Amino acid sequence: MSVAVLIAIGGLTTVGIYLITARSLSRIILGFSLLGHAAVLALLTAGGPPGAAPIADQTAPELSANPVPQALALTAIVISFGLTLFLLALARRQQTLSGDDLVEDDLEDRRIAEETAA
Amino acid sequence: MIRVILTLLVAHLIGVVLAALLGSGSLRRALGVAAVAPVATSVWAVGQLAGSAEPAEASLTWVAGLDLALTFRIDAVALLMTLLVSGIGTMVFVYAMGYFPADATGGRFAATLLAFSVSMLGLVWADSVWTLFIFWEFTSITSFLLVGYKHTDPAVRTAARRALLITGGGGLVLLAGLLLLAESAGTTTISALGGVSGDRATLAAICILVGAATKSAQVPFHVWLPGAMAAPTPVSAYLHSATMVKAGVLLVAVTGASFAAVAPFKILGIGIGLGSVVWGAIGALRHRDAKLILAWGTVSQLGLLITLLAVGTGKAVFAAVAILFAHALFKAALFLVVGEIDVRTGTRSIDELGGLWRSMPIAFATATAAGLSMAGAPPLLGFAAKEAAVEAVLTLDGLDRFLVGSAVIGGSILTVAYTLRFLLGVFGPGPATPVRPRRLLMTVPAVLLGGAGLIGFVVLGGVDDIVGPAATELNSASSVYGLLRWPGFTTAFGISCGILAGGAVLGWVASRSSRPAPRTIGAMQSDRFLDGTIQRSRQITALVQHGSLPVYAATMAAAALLAALPFLGGLGTGHLAGWNSPVEAVLCAAIVGSAVAGAFVGSRLGAALTLGAVGTGVAGIFVLYGAPDLALTQLLVETIVVVGFVVGLGHLSQSFPKVDRTWRTVRLVVSVLGGTGVALALAASGADPAGQAPVAELATAAVTDGGGNNVVNVILTDIRALDTLGEVVVLATVAIGILALANARLSGEAS
Repeated sequence: MSVAVLIAIGGLTTVGIYLITARSLSRIILGFSLLGHAAVLALLTAGGPPGAAPIADQTAPELSANPVPQALALTAIVISFGLTLFLLALARRQQTLSGDDLVEDDLEDRRIAEETAA
Repeated sequence: MIRVILTLLVAHLIGVVLAALLGSGSLRRALGVAAVAPVATSVWAVGQLAGSAEPAEASLTWVAGLDLALTFRIDAVALLMTLLVSGIGTMVFVYAMGYFPADATGGRFAATLLAFSVSMLGLVWADSVWTLFIFWEFTSITSFLLVGYKHTDPAVRTAARRALLITGGGGLVLLAGLLLLAESAGTTTISALGGVSGDRATLAAICILVGAATKSAQVPFHVWLPGAMAAPTPVSAYLHSATMVKAGVLLVAVTGASFAAVAPFKILGIGIGLGSVVWGAIGALRHRDAKLILAWGTVSQLGLLITLLAVGTGKAVFAAVAILFAHALFKAALFLVVGEIDVRTGTRSIDELGGLWRSMPIAFATATAAGLSMAGAPPLLGFAAKEAAVEAVLTLDGLDRFLVGSAVIGGSILTVAYTLRFLLGVFGPGPATPVRPRRLLMTVPAVLLGGAGLIGFVVLGGVDDIVGPAATELNSASSVYGLLRWPGFTTAFGISCGILAGGAVLGWVASRSSRPAPRTIGAMQSDRFLDGTIQRSRQITALVQHGSLPVYAATMAAAALLAALPFLGGLGTGHLAGWNSPVEAVLCAAIVGSAVAGAFVGSRLGAALTLGAVGTGVAGIFVLYGAPDLALTQLLVETIVVVGFVVGLGHLSQSFPKVDRTWRTVRLVVSVLGGTGVALALAASGADPAGQAPVAELATAAVTDGGGNNVVNVILTDIRALDTLGEVVVLATVAIGILALANARLSGEAS
């Protein structure tokens, strides 16, 4: 297992968490994208060492990379793509309504907290 | 036989639905419809009694391998309980027709009462611990609904909630006990339970006793029963004296033989029982509401049953079953009489009632017959049952004799006393209470149940045919015993006479006292505990659910880090290498560098560009790992995302808003810990691969089964085709969502 890739995964996760805890929705979206990259890389590196592309008639099985994590990663990439675009649309909507893209506190949760304090 | 059992159960369920539907017309009609199923069941049970001795069995398997099945077995014990549940049930339905005003509407009461009836039947018929538990819980829930029938009154709601929480909590303990018992005995079939022993069996015995004590209102869990008297009287008579509260007793009875070798079962059982006998009787002697006197009396009587069953000798079990049968009859009759008095005079307080022996002679005669049966006076069924209990004490020796003797003899004296106080207080002298006219529908069931004690004594052999086989089913040593009409001048008879005399004196003295009724010790505490729990959970909710989404995200990241900790134990370095190729190292450095830059760059456009750089770097890694499909997809996706950023957020101000410094530090700490944790956990997990990947097999299968050479593509479109279809659906949904969000206008804006 390559330490370089592990550092990349750790770095992406760190920055990703840092960004999704921000108030600005565009930063949160950025963070989600980075976490998505970290997850895909983790899948790939957990699947084994690098190899040649798993094409049946061109690569001998013993030289081939593990195709299973690749298939899983492909799904992950597409889903995280969908999520990112949807969040972008939400951010744009938020901006249309309130002029910025800041995430407000959840009103219902605040109400519960205030009721208890009272 | 399975067909009969299922037909009876389904008939009840149909009755529940019909009663609920018909209720909009008239409650009386709904009750009439609901009574059909109990009548049919009673008739069938009487037929069973006369017919074969073979138990009826039925089983509906759900998951065979896990022993999950609805299993019913109607043996002699279940048959006795069926007679009580459906027989007294029929009486109660008829009685309720008179109890509620003739013009009352709403089928809820009739439907719920019938739902309880079928739950109770399921409970007494159950032959699998799962079936037993499910119906046990159903009775708790229907009991809650019936106690809370007059739900507009806050006091009623509190009482119903207390009943539900105590019996429901006990149900959970019971579940643990049943699981442990099934584990120890190696079977989930109740009739196949053998003797168990060991630590696990001890724990099972304790849990089952606690469960039984909550249901049967035994000390210290009895506090819900007096509160449950807030229910309409038909409910009190049916659930809270004759049937549901017997469920715990029944449970102790059917598991008693299995726990014969478990000493704590006997000790704890006698302890709970004796405590309830005394404390319940004291309660019955102190309260001034006729219904509460009866409820406390029930606590005491059930305690006596638990004591006898916990001792578990043949004679004691026989006596317990006889008392159980007699108690159901006389206690239901007494409740029905009290309900009638309540309806006809408007009060249940013995301070306000007076002269009823003259103005309500039939009720007086019924109550006297039932009361004397409760006191154990001849010539009534209660006398024969009490006599059997005294005989049972005389066959014991040592500590058992002392403890059970105290429960039987002491309890009986107190019972005579509170019975006398009840009869004197309700019917005896005093300023005559004005009485409204009689309602026949209320009088007849009460007279029948009250008279049953007398008839039962006359045809004692018939009662013996019901009680004897049931007791033998529980303990084979019981088969030699029978109920005696006239025991002769034996020691037991002498003791019985002493009990009656002592109790009469005590009762006379107690009835002179005018001390106000005490508060129920424990009821207030249990309510306060409950309110405190709710308040506390609100505070915890306010603390953790404060509303700030960024803090939620940070909390989740921190929790994920904690979850990763166990993996760190396996951390080795043998499988780690610096890099697979220098290009990889360069790409990784670029990825981390771009990501960090993305976090600190001031402008949104810059951030989008760094994201593009990260994505491109990742695509490069894909190429190195032999994943061309991923690399192509990644590049395509990354391009669209960057364009999306520019289009989507282009209108926003260029720079990010300022953030709080402390919160920024917290975020930094959490994220660095989280990132490090993920990397370390991944490194640790890599030391222990699950096995060789089936690369060759997948390559062959791709060609032969999928008809393609690109293994990854075949996996996606063939092996995981359904997943991929789901993915397409997700993307389509996202597209629709984005379209909707983009087209949505501000409210009030002209279109």
